[in-house]
Amino acid sequence: MKKFVFWGLVISLFILSVTVFSAKKTVITYWTHTDDNRTRIEERYIAEFTKMHPNVEIKRVVNEASKMGDLVLTAFAARSGPDIFNLPIEQEYGYIINRRVAPVDYKAIGYKSLEHLKADYADNTFDPVTMDGKIYGLPLEITNWCIFINKKVFRSAGLDPEKDYPKTWEEMADISEKLVIRNGEIITRRGFDFRYPYYLVSFLPMVQQLGGDLISADGKKAIVNDEAWIKALNFMREWGPHGRNLGSPTYVNARKIFNYDNNDIAMCLSGFYQIGRIKIDNPEFYESGEWMVVPFPVFKDAVQEVACAYYGHYFMVNASIPKAKQKIAWQFIKYMLDHPIEYLTEVNIIQPRKDLVESDFFKRLPYTDVFMADMTRAKPVFLHENGYQFERYIKEAIEDVMLSNVKSEDALATLKRKIQEVLDEK
Amino acid sequence: MKKPITGDINLLSFNQKERKKRSIEEKKALWGWVFVLPALLFFMVFSFYPMMNAFYLSLTRYNLISLEPPKFIWFKNYVYLFQSPEFWNSLKSTAIFTLGTFLLLLVFSLALGAFIISRKKGRTLLQMIFYSPALLSSVVAALIWFLIFDPRGLANQFVNFVMGTPGVDHKWLATAGMLRLSTIIVYFWKYIGYFTIIFVAGMGNIPQSIHEAAAIDGTNKWQHFWLIVFPLIKPTTLLVSVMAMLQCLKTFSTQYLFTTSGAPTKPINVITLNIYNTAIRDFRIDRASAMSVLLFLIMLVLSWLQFKAAKERDISYM
Repeated sequence: MKKFVFWGLVISLFILSVTVFSAKKTVITYWTHTDDNRTRIEERYIAEFTKMHPNVEIKRVVNEASKMGDLVLTAFAARSGPDIFNLPIEQEYGYIINRRVAPVDYKAIGYKSLEHLKADYADNTFDPVTMDGKIYGLPLEITNWCIFINKKVFRSAGLDPEKDYPKTWEEMADISEKLVIRNGEIITRRGFDFRYPYYLVSFLPMVQQLGGDLISADGKKAIVNDEAWIKALNFMREWGPHGRNLGSPTYVNARKIFNYDNNDIAMCLSGFYQIGRIKIDNPEFYESGEWMVVPFPVFKDAVQEVACAYYGHYFMVNASIPKAKQKIAWQFIKYMLDHPIEYLTEVNIIQPRKDLVESDFFKRLPYTDVFMADMTRAKPVFLHENGYQFERYIKEAIEDVMLSNVKSEDALATLKRKIQEVLDEK
Repeated sequence: MKKPITGDINLLSFNQKERKKRSIEEKKALWGWVFVLPALLFFMVFSFYPMMNAFYLSLTRYNLISLEPPKFIWFKNYVYLFQSPEFWNSLKSTAIFTLGTFLLLLVFSLALGAFIISRKKGRTLLQMIFYSPALLSSVVAALIWFLIFDPRGLANQFVNFVMGTPGVDHKWLATAGMLRLSTIIVYFWKYIGYFTIIFVAGMGNIPQSIHEAAAIDGTNKWQHFWLIVFPLIKPTTLLVSVMAMLQCLKTFSTQYLFTTSGAPTKPINVITLNIYNTAIRDFRIDRASAMSVLLFLIMLVLSWLQFKAAKERDISYM
């Protein structure tokens, strides 16, 4: 009898512990940046996914986009990074190089091989996240920038936007000169202005058009083709207050004021997502048809036909979490990404999936042809473990020539020294 | 005949009382430790350990994002920093900002403190008005001022109106000198009220009898302030000067927000901004730690010098 009671207790305890253990939920933390439209649809995806997987709980944490990079970095440095996160690929690259993120578990998301996964996406989609034959991220969005034009402002300066839009950077400066309105030295209406802090995306391609590059192909030499750099820096210098005074980094971001159609900016540089933002910020302007999108200009004597670099946000999974959890994380990511049309229509972001970009629905959307045509002549954004550091150095060089009236040659020499120092330390 | 033993008994009872008293004091001391322990633990975990860790990291080569453990390299990071033009530029930027802001803060908060204390009415209101910017977060303050310093913003409009120079762009956020001035203005505006209130409190602590004695002796307002009030608020002046200096040396938010919003980095690349960029953007926590240690030493030496200078000029009317 005693034996019976003893074994009965042991078996009951075993069953209880197994039940408790199996009932314990797998909690996945997912960090992303603020976007109300995305939050709305992704909260729904989470509800649907957890309904299908009752043992899974997804904690979606939203952070301000400008703080995301710092937060993810400090969390990973403290070995407590999120299970899933997304950042611009320039920032994510360091995580791949340092093996902090896990390769895509293609079997867990229903692919027989990586080739099958690649076949579902546009060509070269995975180039920025491929290392040693493995893929380390699935794309939330791929973006490239073109020129947005306010037709009314063009016409007010006696220009025909359909014919007179700038095809070269030289034309961009001349047309901006016609469009600009100043009160003394102070610009009250700009023709065009750059996306200043994002030099790897928009300024480096200008240098590449002239035959230059940031580092040599073997990764050992900083600054390829000094002449190309000096010409590009001279162009920026002429653009600034010490030159033709057409714009400057100290004015309000052109992209932010474009949507309001307040006769203070004629052209800005932005991605497809800008269309959705015009619709939200100024529906009247959106419906008016008084805006258009044209390709990224090239220099007159360009040696390469290079458009603005394309960049993306990729979903990545923390390599330090258990494999079983990684598998669920990839399944959840796949579940979200299986709604490309909703991401496009609700959030205005393009997922480079063939079933989307090759669809008639996509092709019928305004200006997707312009963005996609520019994508074919674009390079992926410059990727390097120290990419952000290099971008800061380019920023300093451009600020030196534009705002501090430093000679382009001197600014380039400093830029070269700083980047070479980083390369030599590798 | 036996000697009376009263004295010995008294001595014994005294010793017993003393022991009892000591044990009460010991108990009190023990409780003292118990009460202080949380604060000590807090300091150890959140201040002392990070300081020691930063010093250790400054002697290593360590990438913030890498899984590789730190590699001991002795003082190579310090050698690198002393040879780096960027670090020297940061020292220069910090020195310019600190000197410019600290002196202005000290002089004007003293003057405003004296002005407020001399008012019979509206003291509280004035203190509230001056203190209100300190309640704003540094980021919000920098954002507000960024809009003011925009070429089309209030700063150009105001200066051009006053100077009768319409259409002149004073390049508040562009040229090195103006950019430095802009950061000084933001910081001065934000912290002047805070230090003014400290001076008001210090001046308010001077006994009324001293003011009355000075009045009987026939001092005028100027003499009263410089010969009576100013020497008596020396501890407050020392406190404000040390706090203001340390605050200025640690400035970050204004410079960070200005540089990320389009202003050139070089003129305002103060040490803290350099530390942030080196650690977070370049992943070089080792070099950032070395810079932090150097900044700590600079702050320590300057504070010590201030205390030493204040002690040499000790005056008391008590």
